[in-house]
Amino acid sequence: MSHLPVLILVVYFAAALLLPLLAKLKNSFPGWGALAVTSLALLLSIASALYVGENGPYSYFPGGHGGPGIEITVDWVTVLMHLTINLVGLLILVYSLGDLKSELHPDSLPAYYSIYLVMLAALNGLVMAGDLFNLYIFIEICTIAACALVAIKPGKLCLEAGLKYMFLSTLGSGMILLGIGLVYMVTGELNMGALSEAIPLAFSSYPWNIYVAMSLFIVGFGIKSALFPLHVWLPDAHASAAAPSSAIHSGLIIKVFIIVVARLIFQIFGANLFAAIPAPEVILLLSTIGIFAGSVLAIAQTDIKRMLAYSTIAQISYIFMGFALAVPSGIMGGLLHIVNHGIMKSMLFLAAGAIIYKTGIRKIDELRGIGFRMPLTMSIFSIGALSMVGIPGFSGFISKYYLAFGALEAGKPIYVAVILASSLLNAIYYLPIVVRAFLGHKEGKFVWDQLPWPMATAMVIMAAFNLLFGILPGSLLRLVELAATALLS
Amino acid sequence: MFDKLLANLHFLAAMLLFIIGFYTMLTDSNLIKKVIGLNIMDTGIFLFFISLGYSGGPAGGEANPLPSALMYGGLAAAVSLTAFGLAMIVRLYKYYGTIDADEIMSKRGEAE
Repeated sequence: MSHLPVLILVVYFAAALLLPLLAKLKNSFPGWGALAVTSLALLLSIASALYVGENGPYSYFPGGHGGPGIEITVDWVTVLMHLTINLVGLLILVYSLGDLKSELHPDSLPAYYSIYLVMLAALNGLVMAGDLFNLYIFIEICTIAACALVAIKPGKLCLEAGLKYMFLSTLGSGMILLGIGLVYMVTGELNMGALSEAIPLAFSSYPWNIYVAMSLFIVGFGIKSALFPLHVWLPDAHASAAAPSSAIHSGLIIKVFIIVVARLIFQIFGANLFAAIPAPEVILLLSTIGIFAGSVLAIAQTDIKRMLAYSTIAQISYIFMGFALAVPSGIMGGLLHIVNHGIMKSMLFLAAGAIIYKTGIRKIDELRGIGFRMPLTMSIFSIGALSMVGIPGFSGFISKYYLAFGALEAGKPIYVAVILASSLLNAIYYLPIVVRAFLGHKEGKFVWDQLPWPMATAMVIMAAFNLLFGILPGSLLRLVELAATALLS
Repeated sequence: MFDKLLANLHFLAAMLLFIIGFYTMLTDSNLIKKVIGLNIMDTGIFLFFISLGYSGGPAGGEANPLPSALMYGGLAAAVSLTAFGLAMIVRLYKYYGTIDADEIMSKRGEAE
């Protein structure tokens, strides 16, 4: 039994407590401290991945009291998500070292880093919680930290967006907690492993409790991960927050909730119960509407960050679609899109943030010729845009390929058409930005971006990962396949 | 039928509280009332959980401590969310001079 996964949490929470104190010594300490801690957590999650690779998935019982009860489950889904969360979290943190001074009040910087680490800890906890109540606690930590990351930026827009997010997110948490209560009522269990055995028994005598609980979970997590039409909070929150907050919201937070609900559905309720209420059909329908509505609304936006936020609604619907297909390649597509979209959407938000940092431009129309003033940023933005559209050679193509393959495997070829048609819609709003930036009339001389180095470095590494997973997806595919098998078992 | 309802009155009360709170949070335009709705909703869930722990007969008997213990976690979350929400509302009041969501929307419309 390895202590590594718990150490990740301990390190994050301890550092989140200490960072504001370090700020009393020197103002720049919290940023660098957070960087050191996140790097350490990434190393720990790599070590944990290697350990699981050698010894296989395992359960960890805090305090060593033995199960069942409070449990931490480390399977391949956990490993995949830990690597994604800590890698993307680290890169966004590197970027924020350069960017945040321009977006936040200097006094709130230590608090920002502290909240950011709590956020990462909660995300790491969510994907490894092995019992429902720890899961709920991590959900609440995640909710509060996520709202705080939006509302910490000065200005009334962020405050409004944060408050709206908090109210809707709390409705979601309430529904999830009620669902946990309904499950506990008929099974007397909270541990997920024990529940997977107890639920079929309880289902025969109390089917309504199970049905209602499952619906509450789907709607509750649907609010938190912006399943259409429960997405109303997302555009405001993701568009108004500081660039690194937008990146972590769009890139990681909403996806972790999908992983959690997928784990609940497939591992404790089972795919049969999932199909008994017509949940897969409903989710497939909603995600199809979400894909089109998100794309059409994105086309209508004039603000670049709002456009990216609406694009997130469309992209998150792909992930829901992959899981609702409930076949191995569909789930692989969903998991791949969680990783790939996590990297590319963070990258796009960071690139948009860099444009705003340097020029203050938010309107898409005004981006004409920006490629000559910020060539590096716009090249990175273009990589992200092409990847979103799903051009072969970029990582977005791989996940869409698997999603389409999943639709065929599930015997629902109509969704292949949905994926193809929506790729065209993506092209309609992403490509004009790229074309305008590089082919618009040239203003003044060609200059390099002159961004602070942390911002440039973070974006370049993300672009490198995007290309790596687009051209040589082998190792990622192997990991995702193991995770998909673990999720369905 | 009526006996069954009477025996499960606590569940009915919990569900009513949940629905009242849920409805208030969704529909009331007063932000403070939304926070109150949040608390009513959570109270409904707490009542539901704690009544699950009751296992004795009419004279009392013993109770399962686990659901009550779990609700300490729920309470902590509800208190933090209430405090955080109220703090945000105070800040919003400084910007707009009102705590009514509709008025804030119309003031925002005028400004733009």
